[in-house]
Amino acid sequence: MHDISFDHLDADGAIAEAAERAGVVSRATFLGGALGGSLTLLGVAGERAIAQAPGPSDVAILNYALTLEYLQAAFYTEAQRMKALRGRAAEAADVVGAVERAHVAAFRDVLGSKAASRPSFDFQGTTEDQNAFLKTAVAFEDLAVAAYKGQATRIKASSALAAALSIHSVEARHAAWMRYLFGVQPATRAFDEPQSKQQITRVVNSTGFITNTPSTQGSRTPRYTG
Amino acid sequence: MTGGRTRRAGVVLALAGGALGFLAVLLWPAPELAPRVGGLPASPDPALDVPAPAPLERDPHLAMWSVVERPASALSAPGRGRRVGRLRTRTPEGTDNLVLVRRRARDARGRVWVEARLPVLPNGTVGWVPRDALGGYRLVRTHLVVNLRRFTATLERDGQPVFRARVGVGLPRWPTPRGRFYIRNKLVRYRSTFYGPLAFGTSARSAALTDWPDSGFVGVHGTGRPELIPGRISHGCIRMRNRDIARLGRLMPVGTPVTIR
Repeated sequence: MHDISFDHLDADGAIAEAAERAGVVSRATFLGGALGGSLTLLGVAGERAIAQAPGPSDVAILNYALTLEYLQAAFYTEAQRMKALRGRAAEAADVVGAVERAHVAAFRDVLGSKAASRPSFDFQGTTEDQNAFLKTAVAFEDLAVAAYKGQATRIKASSALAAALSIHSVEARHAAWMRYLFGVQPATRAFDEPQSKQQITRVVNSTGFITNTPSTQGSRTPRYTG
Repeated sequence: MTGGRTRRAGVVLALAGGALGFLAVLLWPAPELAPRVGGLPASPDPALDVPAPAPLERDPHLAMWSVVERPASALSAPGRGRRVGRLRTRTPEGTDNLVLVRRRARDARGRVWVEARLPVLPNGTVGWVPRDALGGYRLVRTHLVVNLRRFTATLERDGQPVFRARVGVGLPRWPTPRGRFYIRNKLVRYRSTFYGPLAFGTSARSAALTDWPDSGFVGVHGTGRPELIPGRISHGCIRMRNRDIARLGRLMPVGTPVTIR
């Protein structure tokens, strides 16, 4: 089990650099927990302009969402490739996997060169066992719903908020679907609580699903047969 | 009877009128009112264009590899059989050890095992490794094909050649092993004119040089003697000109399957 902090999650610094390049937040501030920045990046990227506003960076929030979407898309895609699921769980993985990949494509498209890099994943066999898959899928979808909700009040641009909400409700449908398949009640509470980035990161860290990139390059003088 | 018909006609007319009225409300062009409904501002355009979800396509050119996370024995069958190899977590070159994944299965107790191509002698050995001894799965779309008769190395991506170079291969007494292997690591920034600027380590091992340092693994690397290429010139390694190995270094990821024929 790896102990992954947000530093690890952003192992190659892509997220922090994106915010730093915008000239609106220092790397230290960013990694310190503030999703700081401004909204100019999207305009620079030639994508839809989002009104400029001070305060927390919508770009950083979008990259945070992108990282969660990477996690989900990789999970379902690996489950599809492993072909270990059967029945309705396999059907759900096909449908939800396609949707999560579409979310990734959308975030990468709007963020352009500012998009966070895809982390390395190790799902530790949860994509190869029906019960473990469904249990993890419930956790992921609940997590995504809480994460989007947690950032809703921090998003400054209405167009970014509209996008986040349109995905948030889809994630909620996924959560209900996976809960139903796993055999737990989809909706029993009158209110859902949001979760902060720190809370989400702590949960993701505890899974050990985000790993360091394997060290496959070295500089030792070769001793191959020559 | 007549009264009933009249009532029915009245009901039909009333329904038709109601439907027309409803449609009129829906379709009424009121451009000045379009941005606002009941005093509310119009919804903004979302910042994202989410594409239509696309199904995962079967890709025959994908290969899967995984890092060895903990030392493990590889068996001839899932959870049973004889030991066909031992896997360490590091290569002799100090990089993470890895295996090429072929398929998976469960043993009688439900434990998941992975059949992997192994970096052991005899060349071509495959064995079953506990899933929990491996890390996450990673994918490559490339495949290196070495033709010992034509002295060529061809890199394919998605089944299409993207690189081709003439190579030097093993002398008859130290032949380059034929078979299916994979790229285990990539070495750069070392000081050696003999190996050129870059060297890939493969899972192939010389069956003739078993006492070679670090187990006699076969590499794909550059050379200080480019004039000897193409030909049978090496102790089993695949040598190519330095400009070629530098280009291959940009194109070929670790984990790439290698076929030597």
